[in-house]
Amino acid sequence: MSALVWVMMGIAVWHFTVFLPDRFWGGIVGAFLAASVGAVIVGIIANGLTVPGRHDTELIQAFLAIPGALIGIGVVYAIGVSRGNEVVDL
Amino acid sequence: MSDRTRNLVVLLVVAILAALSVVAITARPTKEGLDLKGGVSLVYEARPSAFAKVDSESIGRAIEIMRDRVDRLGVAEPEIAKAGNNQIEVQLPGADNVEQAIRQVGTTAQLFFYDWEPNVVNENCVSAPTDSSVTGGPQAGNPGSGTISYYDAVLRASKCKATNEPDDLSHSGPIFYGVDTLAKKVLCGPQDTEAELRAECASNKRRIDKVVTVPRGYVVVQSQAPDGDTDQDKRARVLASDAYYVLKDDVSLKGTDIKDPQQGRSNGTSGDVNVNFQFTDSARKTWEKVTREIAERGQDQWVPGTDAQAAAQHFAIALDNKLISVPFIDFKRNPEGIDGRNGSEISGGFTIDSAQELAGLLKTGALPLKLKLISQSQVSATLGQQALNQGLTAAIAGFVIVALFLLIFYRALGVIAVAGLAVYALYLFALIKLIPITLTLPGIAGLILTIGVAADANIVIFERVKEEIRAGRSTQQGIIQGYKKGLAAIIDANVVTILVAFVLFMLATAGVKGFALTLGLGTITSLFTAVLATQAALGSMQKTKLLQSKGALGASKESHSWRIDFMGKSKWFFSFSGLILVICAFALSSNGLNLGIDFESGTRVKTSLTQKPTENQIRDALAAEGLDAPKIQRVTDDKELGGDGYQISLNETGAKVGGVKRILEQKFGTAANYQSQSIGPTFGNTIAKSAITAIIASLIIISVYLALRFDWKFAVPVLIALAHDLLITAGVYALTDREVTTSTVAALLTVLGFSLYDTIIVFDRVRENVPRMPQAAFSQIVNRSLSEVLTRSLATSFCALLPLLALYFFGGATLQDFAFALIIGTASGTYSSVFIATPVLTHWKETETLYRRRRSRVAAEGGGTVPPYATGIAATEVEVRGKPRPSRRLTAPETPEKGVSSEEFKELVRDIQPEVAVQDPEVDPNADVLPENLVLKDTPKRANMKGKKPRNRRHGR
Repeated sequence: MSALVWVMMGIAVWHFTVFLPDRFWGGIVGAFLAASVGAVIVGIIANGLTVPGRHDTELIQAFLAIPGALIGIGVVYAIGVSRGNEVVDL
Repeated sequence: MSDRTRNLVVLLVVAILAALSVVAITARPTKEGLDLKGGVSLVYEARPSAFAKVDSESIGRAIEIMRDRVDRLGVAEPEIAKAGNNQIEVQLPGADNVEQAIRQVGTTAQLFFYDWEPNVVNENCVSAPTDSSVTGGPQAGNPGSGTISYYDAVLRASKCKATNEPDDLSHSGPIFYGVDTLAKKVLCGPQDTEAELRAECASNKRRIDKVVTVPRGYVVVQSQAPDGDTDQDKRARVLASDAYYVLKDDVSLKGTDIKDPQQGRSNGTSGDVNVNFQFTDSARKTWEKVTREIAERGQDQWVPGTDAQAAAQHFAIALDNKLISVPFIDFKRNPEGIDGRNGSEISGGFTIDSAQELAGLLKTGALPLKLKLISQSQVSATLGQQALNQGLTAAIAGFVIVALFLLIFYRALGVIAVAGLAVYALYLFALIKLIPITLTLPGIAGLILTIGVAADANIVIFERVKEEIRAGRSTQQGIIQGYKKGLAAIIDANVVTILVAFVLFMLATAGVKGFALTLGLGTITSLFTAVLATQAALGSMQKTKLLQSKGALGASKESHSWRIDFMGKSKWFFSFSGLILVICAFALSSNGLNLGIDFESGTRVKTSLTQKPTENQIRDALAAEGLDAPKIQRVTDDKELGGDGYQISLNETGAKVGGVKRILEQKFGTAANYQSQSIGPTFGNTIAKSAITAIIASLIIISVYLALRFDWKFAVPVLIALAHDLLITAGVYALTDREVTTSTVAALLTVLGFSLYDTIIVFDRVRENVPRMPQAAFSQIVNRSLSEVLTRSLATSFCALLPLLALYFFGGATLQDFAFALIIGTASGTYSSVFIATPVLTHWKETETLYRRRRSRVAAEGGGTVPPYATGIAATEVEVRGKPRPSRRLTAPETPEKGVSSEEFKELVRDIQPEVAVQDPEVDPNADVLPENLVLKDTPKRANMKGKKPRNRRHGR
């Protein structure tokens, strides 16, 4: 259940990347994957390499996903910039 | 064949099929499921026994035996079938005694005869034939005569050393029990493996502190108890419930050694009810040998002058580890043993019913496999009828409101569509009767859903027809072009629905299979009626005054133009979705999902009772029968019950809960409206795994299909939008604390198909406009595409929602489960198609070099900004000619009075010489890319045609 919460929060955070200039590595889809995967990885690490089950999932798990999603998005943004991706402003 | 002839032939076929459908509907009965006509459903999991492993052959044999047993129950039209790899599903329509059904159908009925005294073991696991405190002496087999508690018996047996003798027939390996050593109670088991034991303990919320293993070669048997209903019998049963023996598992005879068992009465003065039987030839000698040994042993122990019966020795008959009789052998009357030619009898507190049941079980023989009851459900006939009425009301209401919508919105075209819907309903109902498909509540949900699917197909076409007519085409050409261009999107969307239905059918449990089957069948049927039949009808009527009138077609006014900067505003739509998902994530993490017993295992009973007991009275009544801590709540004006009643939730599963109805009726009067569902942990796990597999499989299939039909870059935004829809639906369930059932999962999978319908419509138009606007920025192409199809997208979604609303408001609980998830998913799907999938596609495509370059140029021309809609050079459109594969050949001029136009003449030439007629698109000297290079992968390269007639894969709305 926690994994679902992490993914949900990761994707929620990703929705706000449209306010950033699109210089992500892989574009907006790259940011989507990075936010989801980042949220899950940080969630797992923060829980001692475990995924809390349905009865162990609490509100804190939703918050734990936010830094992971931001880190993921930041990483693909940095890679995009380093690869010379130009801004696409819609 | 001319168009007119073709249309008439199609209409004739439609009419003939409709007439045949009416005949089929009136002549063939509808096969109703248990949830509609009442009955008992049992699902067993087959496990290996000492005699057979689980394979198709042993399951087949078990099914045959179960069928014989069911026939003895007198149930009409029972269904017993293998489900999955190792499950057997038994459906008993009209049955109302689930306890009897469980006893009769699923009892393994392993009958064993034991020489009693040498086999009963003491605390040192040694037999003590002369110790009456171990064997029970003259009262052998009765509670209190040498018996020990269940807990002590299990512990005693666990201290014995495993044997491996050929007559160790009860079980082929160790048996596991879960115990509470402080309370000295056996809480779970017996089970064949420790893992199964722990799963059983967990599902029944039993905390054990030790797992005890009874080795092969020993068996724990319960003492005998009478079957009668007198107070004495009931007291004896209570005593027997915790009175056990431990036996060496040295079997003298088994169930297959006897034949012709039948209920009878003993010859003595008592006339007690018994079960008499004959022996097989080989067993006869064994019987004589065993009884002779027993008689000789009695003779040896007898001290002349004392009571002979006190020295008499016994043999025991155990059925599924429960003693049913422990008679003694009169060594004075039978010093040489008992002649097996006259057969024998089992007597011991039978009632006529229980004796007949036992005789029936022995006659049909033991099941070759062990069967574990993993799910049971019962619906009373009155509740079934009520559910059927609710389903039919929802179906009729759904049909009527969809018909009204079509008539109001599409006028003359709507009349044709409604006629098409009526024909569709006829066909589908006839198919359901002819195949035949068992109609269940989920199946009715599928039917109602397909009303929306069928109407959606017409909407897609009609909108295109109106568009063509508004663009200046004649009614005739508008209809032709509308069907031609709309067909591909309908096929795309319906193929996805059919694929999802197929996945559901292959992976889902029985109830959901019905939904998948009707959904798939309905979608295929709707393709025929909504496309072919209505096209023929319109084609035949195209020259009538009615269809010549643009007003009658709803095409007189200019269509509503959505001049919205969809892409510019997508930031705010994204933010809106993001916020909703944040709320959903918080709700999911704090509330979790309220998983129903389908996934969690447990039992739920809904019933009305003649008396109106309090919750505590019901709790006490159930607790007295060992059903602990049930959660009970009164329900008022419940749709399923058709009034007030009670909902009882128990953690218990298995055969024990089959007695809930009996207990309630004994204490609180008739339970007229009764329904129960019990799901064991194994079945719950199966359902959960199937649900996850189905979702993943559906996503993969959808991705592959879209990648093949469109382009992989189109498939990814679709998947993101689908993830959005699924997460939103899950979040809403968490927010509302609504129970998640198998129906919810089926509905979620259907949402995948429905959500795609809108996305495909939008993406199809984008694909059509990309080569048409070779100088516009991608966002401008998308804005234009959205403005063109938004009305259609909203109309199809609204039309799909109408039957769902009917389902929600008129259906019972099961139908509401489907409807709620579908309403949320469809609404979210419509939104995400326009405001999530399309912007993601735009963002992604705009990063491509071609579109970056073009965007820069458009921005430079626009003074640094890119207008939402293409203007100036960017707005230049080119005609992209389709491939020369007309869906029909031109056979008559569009306006006969004016003769054949030059365009029509060219079209005729292209028809005759297709290869010669293939024309390059008109090249715009200012374009940065040729149109054919922008037509996505669907446009076949001429170089690769190799003379083959290209398929028409360019679609348009």
